[in-house]
Amino acid sequence: MKTARQTQPRRRALLGAFVLLGVVLGLLGAAPAAAAAPSPAALAPAASAPTASTPSATLAPAAAADLAPAAAAVTPASALAADALDPATAPESIAVWVRSLPSRAGVPGLTVTVTGKGYSQTFTTDADGRVEVGLPAPGDYTVAIDESTIPADLGSLPKGSNPRTVTVQETNKGVPANFLISQAAAGGATTPTPGATTGPARTASPAPSSGGSHGAFWDIFASKIVTGVIYGLLLALASIGVSLIYGTTGLNNFAHGELVTFGALMAYVAGTLLHLPGWIGIIAAIVLGGAYGFVQDTVLWRPLRRRGVGLVPLMIVSIGLALATRYIYAFFFGADRLTIPNDPSPFLVIGPISLRFTDVMGAVLALVVLLLVAFVMLRTRLGKAARAVADNRALAAASGIDVDFVIRCIWIGGGALAGLSGVLIAYYQSLRWDTGSSILLLIFAAVTLGGLGSAFGALVGSLVLSVFMNLATLVIPDNLKYAAALVVMILILLFRPQGILGRRERVG
Amino acid sequence: MNWNFIPLALGEAISPTTAAYALATIGLVVHFGFTGLVNFGQAGFMAVGGYAFAITTLKLDWPFPFAVLATIVASVLFAFVLGIPTLRLRADYLSIVTIAAAEIIRLSVKTAEIYDVTGGSTGLNGAADTFQALNPIPPGNYGIGVLRFTAPDLWTMIVGWALVLLACLLVWALMRSPWGRIVKGIREDEDAVRALGKNVFSYKMQALVLGGVLGGLAGALFILPRSLQPDNYGTQLTFFLYTIMLLGGATTIFGPLLGSAIFWVVLSLSDGLLTLGVDAHVLPISSTQQGPIRFIIVGFALMLLVIFRPQGILGKRIEVFFRA
Repeated sequence: MKTARQTQPRRRALLGAFVLLGVVLGLLGAAPAAAAAPSPAALAPAASAPTASTPSATLAPAAAADLAPAAAAVTPASALAADALDPATAPESIAVWVRSLPSRAGVPGLTVTVTGKGYSQTFTTDADGRVEVGLPAPGDYTVAIDESTIPADLGSLPKGSNPRTVTVQETNKGVPANFLISQAAAGGATTPTPGATTGPARTASPAPSSGGSHGAFWDIFASKIVTGVIYGLLLALASIGVSLIYGTTGLNNFAHGELVTFGALMAYVAGTLLHLPGWIGIIAAIVLGGAYGFVQDTVLWRPLRRRGVGLVPLMIVSIGLALATRYIYAFFFGADRLTIPNDPSPFLVIGPISLRFTDVMGAVLALVVLLLVAFVMLRTRLGKAARAVADNRALAAASGIDVDFVIRCIWIGGGALAGLSGVLIAYYQSLRWDTGSSILLLIFAAVTLGGLGSAFGALVGSLVLSVFMNLATLVIPDNLKYAAALVVMILILLFRPQGILGRRERVG
Repeated sequence: MNWNFIPLALGEAISPTTAAYALATIGLVVHFGFTGLVNFGQAGFMAVGGYAFAITTLKLDWPFPFAVLATIVASVLFAFVLGIPTLRLRADYLSIVTIAAAEIIRLSVKTAEIYDVTGGSTGLNGAADTFQALNPIPPGNYGIGVLRFTAPDLWTMIVGWALVLLACLLVWALMRSPWGRIVKGIREDEDAVRALGKNVFSYKMQALVLGGVLGGLAGALFILPRSLQPDNYGTQLTFFLYTIMLLGGATTIFGPLLGSAIFWVVLSLSDGLLTLGVDAHVLPISSTQQGPIRFIIVGFALMLLVIFRPQGILGKRIEVFFRA
């Protein structure tokens, strides 16, 4: 890597070229995509569908897939062809559900043909757009919607989603075959992707048609910026802990996502199980999150540091801890989505952007806390000591700073911030046993982007990454925005490993 | 009480899935144990191998040997794409890049836009048909006691374990060759090896390719008894492989075999015992709470192994890549 310094200008130029290319591509791609799509974000969570626990909700290796909200409870449809098998008594069945995208209302009266295993039957969707089809045997079935029966004003089914092959295992009842009819057949993820539902559930209300395609584009653009900024603030709260823990101890904490989930679960216990007001839940998340960070450091990390365990084994320990705690959450809180009481009515409406009370307060609270963190880092002895330890641990210890004390404070602070981030994310989106771990790589990406080890880097990185992710959905499918964030992280690591605000150092 | 689960759990030790995990772990041992590359993206290699095999078989109708060839080529390509930019990075950076790359693969193949090729989030089914067409074993049931194998099961098992043993032989031979001494040298002290005039980057790349191909083949083997599901290739898969590797011994040849067998037997046994306890109302948990327990066991096993026995069952303490 001795050539690194010489090639620096070239690398910077390359990075610049990449950014420029990205912007140009973004602008080129954005216009037509925006003209067509109401809002790709609305496609992602079919989570609004009533979810119910699947009878066989065991956590097989394909855990995430099994826990999918796609397993929505399906009431047997009433209207069935005369000679079809009764889904109530058939050992296997497919639940077809056709909805139209903007309203999410079921589409009645569509012709659905189910073929396979020498069986072929035609059905009509009921008033809810559903029909459950009893099957003679397990196997692969093709579910086809007759496109000619779709009312023209609703649009069409996305390419590739119709006809669909549905695999039915033995004794599987109500295997979902969900279809979404939309005006834009472009973004067609009709099967919800549980792993990638990191996107904010809040989207702009459908843009007023009077504005024409141009106005609609700017409406979507603005709402993406707003969701990006709010989510970025929440992400920043979680990222600061990761960055400071890395800076002071060198540990890439893979269990930080579980600290985030922990805070959210504490707020759930307070708000939903104990029926306490929301602010108590938030305080509980902060206090208990800090306590959790303290306990974790005292019981696990400090003894390991004392033993001089290397960084790679520490990283693997944190992975084990993440795996164990995440599934302990699943054990106690179940695999389904949990809800904290929240007022869904719009609180602040500016043009196309509609925000709930908790969205606004969450963002404000996050901003206030972040400013507080900035104050502590810059103006207090502890903050100065923390920065000194992050900068050079040996030197800090030599100049009389109690390194262990500083690290303990960082664990407490990081845990408290992660807890707050968790409860705010639970309000903003949704809460599940794996909410935190599903954003872990996003946190890493944000921290890397901003510069490892720097609190401000974590803040800037989170905001940039979150806004980028949300704007990226203007050009790429919604479920790929998470992948896009990871690509950005990899590019940053390759071309500017110290991040936006980081100090240059040797990483090779 | 039905104690049949005990022989069934012991039977897990020789199942094709255990063989696939063992094979992928041998690849990981080449990366992590012998060369010191912290690859957290072995699941990505398995996904690439699995998809290459399934897509060439199902969508392009390639015969079995060519599909296997495609699997190998795809794994090599993925190793290059991953390795050329990242192998110069420090260990902790490399770990994040590889885990991210594996997730990018998993998220990308799930995209609805390429449903026709990858099957979206439903995955692909029936990739094993060309493989089973080669099955020389007459149809019927084989086995001892409650352990029953159909002819396809048996065929998959034989081929799978033969592959695992071949991989063991290959890695064993390589590691006692001059090549093996150099990569082990890189693990111990990269700069020292560089000072001896060796091209460290090139050796790391060779190790990454070798382990990646083993991972890719494991990915193909993994989908022979089941359908291809993108969510099987999440980060958890990689962490399972790490647990298996550390259980058997990260710097040993037969560690992955032993680790994989123990891992699956213990998981099945614990599942069986839990089911027994729940059905008899001895344990105060519901049947849906059973699922997470195996992951809790894995998590704690991983932590305890790293802290208390980093060399695993078969390893030598002196040869542990990370000194605990």
